Amino acid sequence: MKQTVTNSGVGKWVTRMYDAEKAAGTLKFVDDLEFGPSLLYAKAVRSAVPHGEIISIDKAEALKVSGVKEVIVGEDFPYRFGLYLKDRSPMAIKKVRYIGEPVALVVAESEEAAEEGALKVSVKYKELEAVFDPVKAATDNSVLVHPELGSYEHVDFITPQPGTNIANWFRVRRGDIDKAFKEADYIFEEAVTYPQIAHGFLEPHCCVCVQDPVSQEITIWTAGQSVFTTRDIIADALGLPLSKIRVIAPPIGGGFGGKAGMTIEALCLAAATHPNLKGRPIKLFISREEVMLSSWVRQGYVARIRMAVNKEGKILGIKNTFYFDTGISAEYGANPVRSAGYTSTGCYYIPNVWTDSYAVYTNKPFGGAYRGFGMPEFMSALEMAMDIVAHKMGMDPVEFRLKNLLKPGLPTCTGMPMHNHALETIVKKVAEGISINKEEPAKRNGWKRGKGIALAIKAPAMPADAASSATVEILGDGSVKVLAASMDMGQGVYTSFAQIASEELGIPIEKIKCYYPDTQSHPYDWQTVASRSCWSMGMALKLACEDARNQLIQLYSEYWQCDPSEITIEHGVVKCRKLGKAEPIDTKIQNGFKMPDGKYKGGPIIGRGHFVPPDVIYPDIETGQSPKSVVHFTVGAVGVDLEVDPHTGEIVVNKVVCGYDLGKAISPLNVRGQIEGGTVQGISAGIMEGMYYDDKGLLLTPSFTDYKIATIKDIPDEIQYFWEETPEEISPYGNRGVGEHSMISPAPAIGNALFNALKVRIHSYPFTRERVYKAIKQFDEKGNVDFWEYPFAREQDYKQAIKSWD
Amino acid sequence: MSEIKVNFILNGRATTYVGEPRTTLLRALRAHGVTSVKRGCEEGECGTCTVLVDGVPMKSCMMLLPEVEGKSVITSEGLVGSNGELHPIQKAFIEEGAIQCGFCTPGMIMSVYALLNENPDPSDEDIKEALSGNLCRCTGYVSIIRAVKKAAAMMRE
Repeated sequence: MKQTVTNSGVGKWVTRMYDAEKAAGTLKFVDDLEFGPSLLYAKAVRSAVPHGEIISIDKAEALKVSGVKEVIVGEDFPYRFGLYLKDRSPMAIKKVRYIGEPVALVVAESEEAAEEGALKVSVKYKELEAVFDPVKAATDNSVLVHPELGSYEHVDFITPQPGTNIANWFRVRRGDIDKAFKEADYIFEEAVTYPQIAHGFLEPHCCVCVQDPVSQEITIWTAGQSVFTTRDIIADALGLPLSKIRVIAPPIGGGFGGKAGMTIEALCLAAATHPNLKGRPIKLFISREEVMLSSWVRQGYVARIRMAVNKEGKILGIKNTFYFDTGISAEYGANPVRSAGYTSTGCYYIPNVWTDSYAVYTNKPFGGAYRGFGMPEFMSALEMAMDIVAHKMGMDPVEFRLKNLLKPGLPTCTGMPMHNHALETIVKKVAEGISINKEEPAKRNGWKRGKGIALAIKAPAMPADAASSATVEILGDGSVKVLAASMDMGQGVYTSFAQIASEELGIPIEKIKCYYPDTQSHPYDWQTVASRSCWSMGMALKLACEDARNQLIQLYSEYWQCDPSEITIEHGVVKCRKLGKAEPIDTKIQNGFKMPDGKYKGGPIIGRGHFVPPDVIYPDIETGQSPKSVVHFTVGAVGVDLEVDPHTGEIVVNKVVCGYDLGKAISPLNVRGQIEGGTVQGISAGIMEGMYYDDKGLLLTPSFTDYKIATIKDIPDEIQYFWEETPEEISPYGNRGVGEHSMISPAPAIGNALFNALKVRIHSYPFTRERVYKAIKQFDEKGNVDFWEYPFAREQDYKQAIKSWD
Repeated sequence: MSEIKVNFILNGRATTYVGEPRTTLLRALRAHGVTSVKRGCEEGECGTCTVLVDGVPMKSCMMLLPEVEGKSVITSEGLVGSNGELHPIQKAFIEEGAIQCGFCTPGMIMSVYALLNENPDPSDEDIKEALSGNLCRCTGYVSIIRAVKKAAAMMRE
């Protein structure tokens, strides 16, 4: 029997924690914290060449600037950092590898003095040939971004290829691919490109670091998603015990993966650990331009997909080649490459699979985690390819998808049986929601209307041993302190956690507080990434609550002399109906209960819980096969009804219908927020976002003027959303992650709708006005259906493009 | 650089700031603890530093401190009542889930405040026009439009 009653538990529409402070503006982000007059400010001097040897760094003029305390260079802090692959130093040492790479750090008494000092450091380079095209970098080793690759430490599950620019090579070898292509009635070959894109969170990276000159202990306040991983990466690189590094994460202004792992903290530490500066807190706030130039981006992507299909429309085999443009570091970017690799048949059952997914170094800013983690890139290719194949075979695109659907029980491309899901229902609802087969006139004069669909899938992409733990303390007035070190970066995870605690403890949500992460107080959690928090931390937190509840009930049963099963906690009041007892939780809960024998028992009630996925086995390095490669998949579908102005290439999305099978919505208000927000972010990525460089590797889009993200004027007229709740087996409430998924497939759905509207197939994302216009022109003038633009190639003919990789 | 005195009204109170003439209003406010005013770009692009200057929404990173001499400046903190009571716009943002990370929120709310002062019953198009200078990366704006309509209704009552 359930022993708790609450109105604010799992599945309830409740408002969010910390929103009042956010609305008033009183919530303090890192940049808002006060550190007093001892605070120093750091500013990076950045490389002006894409690849070169550093000949000299002249600090003299900078040191003359009033207020400048120190100018630090790479050799002063010669450590290499990395989550999966230690290929990144916070400042260039001897050699620069991209425009924007820090080469020196100016530390001063004021931000203005640091900025002025940074302008006065002069650096001389001997330029080296650079490589920007990931396909060239992968297939031609004339320029090596990391000739030292063979000496870098890395985790076992990634496979760098020394002597090349391949930082990771993930493979799937399943079935007999040659046989599948031999037996096929039709063979299709399609290619897709996507440039790097930026997270566009509104809070730039900011951190403050200080090292105690005596104990050597380091404290870091950072706008980060991953306090423990930051701590662990730094401890590992510097050879310090974990207990000597404290990482505190105040609220952050958006993350989307861009503040996962370690970002700018090591650069700030170069100053904080400097012998002349130790003991003084150092602040490093990087400007918007520096964020665009030098922090993580979503990797660029080039894919070639070959499909073998029979007359009935069954896909017999798929052969994939993915080049992820990871820039100069794959320390984190090695992993989206795996994610796309081990999901490389998407939502479909394909018996024969051959996938090569590569992380490729180029002389550009580095790729890492971004909402969707390899899946928006891959699904933008696969879902477009599915649409192309369906059209070429004269099949209905929805029917073709359903025919090949990865139904429950069928193996994924890694051999793992697919769990239960409602994808077929979702696809049908989405198709119906946009009336996909109903031709409708455009609402705007002279425009063309089109409809398209794309499916979505993603598993949490994380190491098999990504663990979580939580503690729950019931305080002396019946309020609750939850220490669960997930980062609430806006997704609302603390509201979900409070709902879980409310559900399990029978205490109203108003009395529950989740605290922002601090490695000093909180128990361990791997990272707030991968849509894993409500699931993995949810498991730990539920156990912690159960532990606390059991302790409370045990004590009350002895105190009241009744059976534990007769006790309930209802809206914060402990009751035993049989004995007619009812009392709100009070100080006994922390001071102990005076039992019938006159002795005290109890003491503060602290529940604890921990969790690690119990059954995941890393995919085999050679074949990618594993009985359970990932914990689960969240699946869904997006339908887009849009219209396009053929005279300008402008796209307006009339309506989006999307649905996801998330198992169980813990916090529906936040689920809605994730779906609406991710959908618009996906549309923004699909229509307007891309990082572009000149032929010297200089970023041409370093601001929100040049790098457009969706404004309020760019949103669809209507977003219809729904979710299905097919429960997950190993899960606190049957729930699966949903934070990232809404961003995965709006872009390919737009691409497919564009084809429906224009009969032109644009293989290069994003679908900017200029590109759409050019595609229409090309079709009108040459009759080419396929439009291809690849920023690194002179030859822009689509047929040539895909052949040139052989 | 020499410092100057600037007298202005901040959230209804006469205030004097001392600062360098090159200091932006954004940096000056933040240096004095008014941290609802966020720096998201310091280039006038994102709107997270929006304040009202004599009732007009302005990006405080694009103004120098001396420019507010003798003027009234209102920030998000200034909408909160003396006993912590939130303004209807702030309440509506919470109720409609129009806040996620909260970094754009104070600036967004100031733009809404200016809009509703001028136009108590705005259409979707009016709202989009008024908020087009405030970026939000989390919510997709959908809930913000809901919140503005709710706030307008609350304020009309």
